[in-house]
Amino acid sequence: MLASILASGLAVGAIYAMIGITYNTMFATSRVMSFTAGQLGMLGGVLGSLFLLRLGLHPVLALGLMVLGCAAIGVVTEIVAVRPVLKSLDQHLYVLTTLAMALLIQQFTAIQWGTEPQPFPRLLDLTIGGWEEKYWLPVATCAVTILGLEYLYRRTLVGRAFVAISEDNFAARALGLPERNLRIASYALAGAVGGLAGFSGGQLLLAFFANGPLLNFYGFIPVALGGLGNNRGAVIGGIALGLFQQAANFWVGGIFSSVAVFTLFIIVLLAAPQGLFGATASRRVWWRRSSEGCCPSWRCLALASPCRSPATSITG
Amino acid sequence: MTITRRDLALSSFAATALATPALAQAEPIRIGWLAAMTGPSSAPAVGFNRGVLFAAEAINAAGGVRGRRVEILTRDTQGDPTKAVNATQEMISQLRVHAIWGPTNSGESLATTAIMARAGMPNIHPCVVDSLIDARRYPNAFRIAPSNTQWDDAVRGYCLNRVNARKVAVIGDTTGYGVSATNASVAAFQRDGAEVVYKANIDATQPDMTPDMLRARAAGAQAIVIWSVSTGMIARMLNTRAAQNWDVPFVGHPSLSSGEIAGLIERPANWEKVYAIGYRSCSYDAAGNLPPRTADLVSRLRGKVDLRDTLLWWVACGIDAVNLVAKAVEASNSTAKEAIIAHWNSLNAYPGYFGEYTYSATNHDGYPVADVVMSAANSARDGAFTLAPGYG
Repeated sequence: MLASILASGLAVGAIYAMIGITYNTMFATSRVMSFTAGQLGMLGGVLGSLFLLRLGLHPVLALGLMVLGCAAIGVVTEIVAVRPVLKSLDQHLYVLTTLAMALLIQQFTAIQWGTEPQPFPRLLDLTIGGWEEKYWLPVATCAVTILGLEYLYRRTLVGRAFVAISEDNFAARALGLPERNLRIASYALAGAVGGLAGFSGGQLLLAFFANGPLLNFYGFIPVALGGLGNNRGAVIGGIALGLFQQAANFWVGGIFSSVAVFTLFIIVLLAAPQGLFGATASRRVWWRRSSEGCCPSWRCLALASPCRSPATSITG
Repeated sequence: MTITRRDLALSSFAATALATPALAQAEPIRIGWLAAMTGPSSAPAVGFNRGVLFAAEAINAAGGVRGRRVEILTRDTQGDPTKAVNATQEMISQLRVHAIWGPTNSGESLATTAIMARAGMPNIHPCVVDSLIDARRYPNAFRIAPSNTQWDDAVRGYCLNRVNARKVAVIGDTTGYGVSATNASVAAFQRDGAEVVYKANIDATQPDMTPDMLRARAAGAQAIVIWSVSTGMIARMLNTRAAQNWDVPFVGHPSLSSGEIAGLIERPANWEKVYAIGYRSCSYDAAGNLPPRTADLVSRLRGKVDLRDTLLWWVACGIDAVNLVAKAVEASNSTAKEAIIAHWNSLNAYPGYFGEYTYSATNHDGYPVADVVMSAANSARDGAFTLAPGYG
C-alpha cells in the first residue's frame, strides 16, 4: 500500500506542482492569476494524444509540436484575456477574463476532440524497479522543468529580465526592459510548462477535456500553500498535496479524500495566510509633508514606520 | 336562375366547412422528434434517428397510414434542457404535432415532461429516471425502454442468481446519477439479503483506482457493481483489476460495454468478465444468432442503416417509437391526442423490434423486465452483444 501511495502520490503531486509553476510563471510578469493554467495541462494531454495516436507522429516531434501549441495558447491568453485588464488589476477583472478564456478552451476542445476520455500511449515503455512509466514520467518531467527554470532564471539574460520584471516592473521598465515582450514570453513559457504537465501525466489522466477544471483546482493549492510566485514552494506544496491526497484515498476513500485535502488546505491557510514559503506582501503608501518636515500619514504612525520620502513600502 | 352574391358566399362557406374533415384526413401525421443530435450525449440520438428515418420511409413507401404520410419534425436539443423546452413548446403551439418522441436523455425529459402533460401531448421516450413515468401525473407519457429500477433489478438478479455472488462492492461516480443509482442499488441488494461489503462514489477524473479496488478486494467482494457513465473511470478500474491479478466480475451500467473502453484498457484481456446491461431482443445467443424477428430486421436494415458505429437497440427503439404512433392513428383512425393515448393504454404485448410493450391506464412502463439481460461487454458486433454466461 505504501508503495502505491508513493508511486501515484508523487506522480500526481508532480503534475500539480507543474501546474502551480504555470500559475506562478504567468503571475510573475503580470500579477494576474490566470485560470487557464489547468486548461494548458489538459491541452498537453489532448494534443499529445492527437499527435501521437491519431496522427502517428514520432514522440519527439509530437512533444515539440505540443509545446509549441500550448505556448501559442499561452500567448493568446496574454493578448486576449490579460493585457486588456492590466490597467485595472485592482478590480480583479482578470478573474472573469481568464475564466472565460478557460471555458472557451474547454468547450472548443470538447467540440473538436470529443467528450469521452481518449487513450494516451506509453512513450518509452520503461519500468524502473517496479516503478511504471506512468508514475515516474511526471516526476522526471517535473525535475527537468525545475532544473531548466533554475538555469533560465539564474544563468540567462532573458531569465534575469523575467526576475527583474517580477521583482519590480516599474524599475525594470525604467531600465529599458521590454516589459510587454517579456510578459508575452513568460506566458509562452507558462504554456509550455502546463503542456508538459499534461503530456507527462497523459497516461494517468488520459486525454480528457474535463481534466482542465481538476488541474485548475489542484494546481492552485500548491501555489497557495507554497506562496504566490514561489516555484520551490509550489513544488514542495504539489508533492505534499499529491502524497496527502493519495494517502487520504486509501484511508477515507472516494469523495471524502477531496474533503480531507481541502480541510487541510484551509487549516494551513488559516495558520499561514501567506503560504508556507511565501514572503509577506508589501504595499505602497504615500507621505505628506508638514511645516515641521517629514510627517508620516496616520497609517505609518500606526505602524511606527521610519520616515522616508516620498513613497515607500512597508510590511502590511 | 340568378345567383346572387349572398348565394355565392353561402355556398363557398358550406363547401369549406364540408371539406375540412377531408383535408384533416389527408394531412400528414406529424411526429415531433426531440433529438440531442449534437453535443456530449448525442450518440444515442444519432442511433435512434437512423431507426426513426427508416421507419418513416418504410411506412410512407407502403402508402402511409390510411393514406396519410408520416412526417418527422426533428429539433436538435443538443442535450440542453432549455433547448428541449423551447423545442417542445414550438412543437406544441406552432408545429402542432400529433405526438412527440423523445427527448432521449433524462435531464431534458425532466424539463419537458410537465409541459407535455399540460398540453396532453402523447409522448414516448426512452429515459430511465423512474419519476418520469407516472400514469396519474403524466397520463400522456409512455416509456419505451427500461426504467432505472428495471436496470437495477437485472444487475442484481445476475449477480445473485447467475454469478452467485453474496458479497458485492457497489461503486458509482460522483454525479447525481452515480450517487442515486449507487444508493438505490445498495438498498436493493441489502433488501434481497446480499452483503454490500464496499460502497463508494469515485470522482470520475481520479487518476488512480488502486485504493478503492484494494478496499473492495480486502472486503471480500465477489462481484463489483458499476453505476457510472464514465468510460475513463471504468477503464482505469479494469486496468487496476488486471494489475492486481484479480478476476472478480464487473456487472452494471451499459457504459461498461462502450466502444471507448477498448482504446483505454491496457490489454484486451482486461475487458473479460465484464457484463453490461443489454436487451434480449438485441443479443446474440451462444451460437451467435439474434432472435429471428431481430435477425429479420437486421437483414432489412442491411445496406440502408449503418450499425457498425451505433447500437442495434437504439435503432430498433427508434423504429418502434414511430410505429407505435402510426399504429395508434391506424387503429383509432384519428390523430386526436386522446385517441392516441387511449390506444397506447390498451396495448398488450405489442410486438416491437426492441421489445414487447404492454401499457395500461395505470402502468406506462411498458418494457418487459425479463428482456433486460446482461451482455458480455467486449462482444460488440454490428451494434449487438452476446448474452453473458448463465442465460439459456
